[in-house]
Amino acid sequence: MARMKFLCDAERCIECNACVTACKNEHEVPWGINRRRVVTINDGQVGAEKSMSVACMHCSDAPCMAVCPVDCFYKTEDGVVLHDKDLCIGCGYCFYACPFGAPQFPASNASAPGGQATDWFGARGKMDKCTFCAGGPEENGSEAEFSKYGRNRLSEGKLPLCAEMCSTKALLGGDGDVLADIYRERVTVRGKGAEVWGWGTAYGKPGQQSDTATSDK
Amino acid sequence: MVTPKLFLTTWLLLCSVLGGAVATAVADDAAQKQVRRQAEQPLNNAPVWRAVRYGAEHSTQATGREAGVLIQSAGETWRQIRNGPITLYGGLLLILVPISIGLFYQWKGPLKLNGHPTGRLVQRFSYWERLIHWSVAITFVILAVTGILMLFGRYVLIPLIGHGGFAWFAQISKNVHNLVGPLFIAAVACMFVMFVRDNVWHSIDWQWLKKAPQVLSGKTHVPSGKYNAAEKGWFWGGVALLGLVVGISGLILDFPNFEQTRATMQVAHVVHGVGALIFVAASLGHIYMGTIGTEGAYAGMRTGYVDETWAKEHHELWFKEVNS
Repeated sequence: MARMKFLCDAERCIECNACVTACKNEHEVPWGINRRRVVTINDGQVGAEKSMSVACMHCSDAPCMAVCPVDCFYKTEDGVVLHDKDLCIGCGYCFYACPFGAPQFPASNASAPGGQATDWFGARGKMDKCTFCAGGPEENGSEAEFSKYGRNRLSEGKLPLCAEMCSTKALLGGDGDVLADIYRERVTVRGKGAEVWGWGTAYGKPGQQSDTATSDK
Repeated sequence: MVTPKLFLTTWLLLCSVLGGAVATAVADDAAQKQVRRQAEQPLNNAPVWRAVRYGAEHSTQATGREAGVLIQSAGETWRQIRNGPITLYGGLLLILVPISIGLFYQWKGPLKLNGHPTGRLVQRFSYWERLIHWSVAITFVILAVTGILMLFGRYVLIPLIGHGGFAWFAQISKNVHNLVGPLFIAAVACMFVMFVRDNVWHSIDWQWLKKAPQVLSGKTHVPSGKYNAAEKGWFWGGVALLGLVVGISGLILDFPNFEQTRATMQVAHVVHGVGALIFVAASLGHIYMGTIGTEGAYAGMRTGYVDETWAKEHHELWFKEVNS
């Protein structure tokens, strides 16, 4: 069984934000909801600038899952962390706990996928986040699933669109072992720089991982 | 002439310029380290990863609070505190306190009047005092029940009524908790203003406190004013202090509209949880003493009147004052 992971190669990401646009377009994510974002470190500093694409990392021991008061998260056979918006009460605890800032809360009904938000002052709507293009608990490919969670590409045998269409192949999404092999190959050719950003936080220390890629420092 | 407003604007501007300069200097420093590292050891990004690990805010095209932060580690700490000690010790507290009160009741029974009721009534609480007391009490109970559901429902109610059933309750609980919270704060503020005069600490209260065990078991009598030391303790420690702590932390969580960061809300949540659990546990003592624990106490807050014998036995100094 595959263990789905995201990997972003800081030596390749060029901050084109195409992954962000692809995600927004594929899932028809409303304005104000960022399932994926690109962050640039040392922006504009020649020789020091690095960019990183980040979304839900689908953690092994997911903090969102642990703190949810209504236990609305579940993990698929592929290790993808999904949630049930019919159960979500919009408390924001997953947003406090998540290391990657993945959970998003629509500010109003108009900007909520599936129109599930409360329009009261300060009230959070139902949480929205990256699904690894794997939809939600509704029937695969159904209209209800699309309106709440977006496209279910995994059920069609496709990988997340953000990674699929990344032009520099900085962002990879798929089976963790395969990603680790690809990355190891790159590191071997480069001869240095084995850090995989976020893997230590999301998937545990190297010894606990099912692959040999090293964690971030 | 410098007006205060102009002074404030200048000061804030100066602060932001200086703050910006410091932040830029720190960022520049990290960037310079990375540039040097790249020259010495190409492809070594350690300085960049270090900056990321410290949860610094970097640039991003995404809008939203803290969108430029790649990793925030404090979330894991918050999770450990919330799912660990707060849930465990909070749960124990809410089980052990009612059990102790029940055992005490079995052992000693209610505090009864020694003399016979005279039938003559004295007014103890005005209409407004009772209105405020019950406003605080009702909002408090609603907040306690909904809050307890949010913390323990997953462990207690989901096994009983399932995910769908509990989510329905929890959704209502969250909204009710968020709406009633500000009402509670308003009621507590009124209560403080209205009740503070009679809750000023006097030397006589120390004597009451020293003999508290005997007083509570009805063996001895220490005269007290309108409120005895225990009631004053509840007023200052509970209503005033815990009310303030739970109220402020609650407002920070209730209104996430002011760009407060996750770190602020994590701290507010821990403070709110700990404060609220202590508040609820302590309130059980107050509720016990005000209902089945003391004969005649509940009627006092319900109707506003107490019997003269009750007044004499429980609050002698106040009774003398009222009668004089």
